[in-house]
Amino acid sequence: MKSPGYISIEGRRVRYEWIKHSLIISVLLLESFAFYMMLQISVKDNASFLVNPWLPPMDIFSEADAPQKVDTSAWHWENYGEAMPFIFPYVANTIFVAFFSTTGTLLLAILGAYFFARYKMPFSGPIWAAFLFLMLMPAIANIVPLFTLLKTLGLLNSLWGIILVQVATCQAFNIFVLRGFIEDLPKDLFEAAEIDGASHWQQIRNIVIPLSKPILSTLAILLFIQSWNEYVLPFIALRDHDLFTVGVGLIYLDGEYVKQWGLVMAAFFLSSIPIIVLFLFFMRYFIRGVLSGAIKG
Amino acid sequence: MSPPNSISIRKAFYEWRLYMLVVPSLVMIGLFAYFPAASAVYHSFFIWSGGADKTFIGLDHFQRAVTDSVFLKSFITILILVIANIFKLIPSIFAAVLIHRVISNRAQYWYRIMVVLPMVVPGIVTLFVWKFFFDPNLGPLNTFIEVTPIKSMLVFLDTIFGWGAFQEGRPIAWLSNEKLILPALIFWGFPWLGTVGVLIYLAGLQNIDQSLYESADLDGCGPFRKFLNIELPLILTQIRLTLALLFIGTLQSYGQQYLLLGENGGPGRAGMTPGLWMFNRAFFNREFGYACALGLILFLVILTLTWLNNKYVRIEK
Repeated sequence: MKSPGYISIEGRRVRYEWIKHSLIISVLLLESFAFYMMLQISVKDNASFLVNPWLPPMDIFSEADAPQKVDTSAWHWENYGEAMPFIFPYVANTIFVAFFSTTGTLLLAILGAYFFARYKMPFSGPIWAAFLFLMLMPAIANIVPLFTLLKTLGLLNSLWGIILVQVATCQAFNIFVLRGFIEDLPKDLFEAAEIDGASHWQQIRNIVIPLSKPILSTLAILLFIQSWNEYVLPFIALRDHDLFTVGVGLIYLDGEYVKQWGLVMAAFFLSSIPIIVLFLFFMRYFIRGVLSGAIKG
Repeated sequence: MSPPNSISIRKAFYEWRLYMLVVPSLVMIGLFAYFPAASAVYHSFFIWSGGADKTFIGLDHFQRAVTDSVFLKSFITILILVIANIFKLIPSIFAAVLIHRVISNRAQYWYRIMVVLPMVVPGIVTLFVWKFFFDPNLGPLNTFIEVTPIKSMLVFLDTIFGWGAFQEGRPIAWLSNEKLILPALIFWGFPWLGTVGVLIYLAGLQNIDQSLYESADLDGCGPFRKFLNIELPLILTQIRLTLALLFIGTLQSYGQQYLLLGENGGPGRAGMTPGLWMFNRAFFNREFGYACALGLILFLVILTLTWLNNKYVRIEK
């Protein structure tokens, strides 16, 4: 530990370092309070939650705290067992939607970005403007006609309808980012490929995709999370319980009158697991993705 | 950086296959973005309940909208929420500056990860956990208030100001008392640390030259002066950016209000936002035409604000 008044090599004072650390840590602790509550309530039943709302299950409560002989030390793992069959179909549906909308978006966006980045065709300008304008256009006025459009197309009660809408709404931003990236790739590569007689498709497959892996991973993570968090369109478009995504499933779960909070919190946690796994494996891309998503404006 | 190859119209005739690359994306945005937008404009002139029947009524819906007291009041509600959200940026700025000033790089790295961590919880889960916090009987917020003197303080203040919201022996109904809905929405998400915000500010702070701090140290600047004279001016660009995002995001918000308060925005429509009123008219009253008109008005308001922001708020890169 450095002594008070110590001046570091950079010349910045370290005397008040502990104040900064404790302030940051306390804000972060407050921020993660909701997550903590979710986890600790998920292993309780309602009775022990009433006696012991704040701490994980433990046996420190006297008779006075728990008059009806509540076992406050029991960990009710069965909450997860009960929540699993309820939430699992929704998680599976959401993975389906998120996977196809992510791959679909990126596939179309790469083709579009290649078109804009490599060539300046007649009408490239106006077509580009059509994409750019979408990035400024607030989506709010679209939701009502979108509903009737899906109805006319027979996509109303279908996961593919959700996927198609997500692919469409994500095109503008992803083409925008990928175009910038492909323009920065060395031109010689493409010229060499053309001399060897490579088609556009081969150039995309053998040059663009391998070289833009980092940016593609970043965009993929952003898209996946975005899709996972979507609930307004699925809520108005999906009718069958078998088709519900996590968002819709949780809305219905929340609508029940008598709730076993442990069960509800377990369901909440289970529906976050795919994103948590994604985070553990791709943390680097995650942070970059958050930043690039923010800069989109 | 290579400029794209220019292709003349004559040559484009032979290279028509290139257009096929952009056609899929174009079809998608045409069908699912531009067509609905055009349809919204078109149907705002009709009485329409989503089916084939519709009656042309000209500008009546717009006339109705500007005299619709619920719609007008919802703009006041959203204005209050926007102002509150501006203040809710402060903790993120504060946290970013603190993390930036921490000397240990290792600690900085870990704090950054911990800031990103809340992102792993889906937005809708966070929303429902907070709804549970506000639950009058079981919610941790009321449990906490009951065991601390805060409750008697609130009751005391209530008797002075006559809010009629806090009473001894009765749980505080955060989301079902007309007067408490807005305060509850404002308190929402405490301590208001925005992941995106903190990361943007940190990225901005990283550009600050070390020598600035050194000369400030020589001049005897305290930590607060350093913030005002070095850090704040240099992250103003980022703050403006987050402000713009926040304005547009808040103005469009209705999902949160719907899930917390129902389609009427709670008792007395205290949490009614313009977007929620549009949603309400369309899906709970079958007035699709009117909802399109409301959406269009909101769209124009947001577009104007975006335009003003791009024109007058310069973001230097």
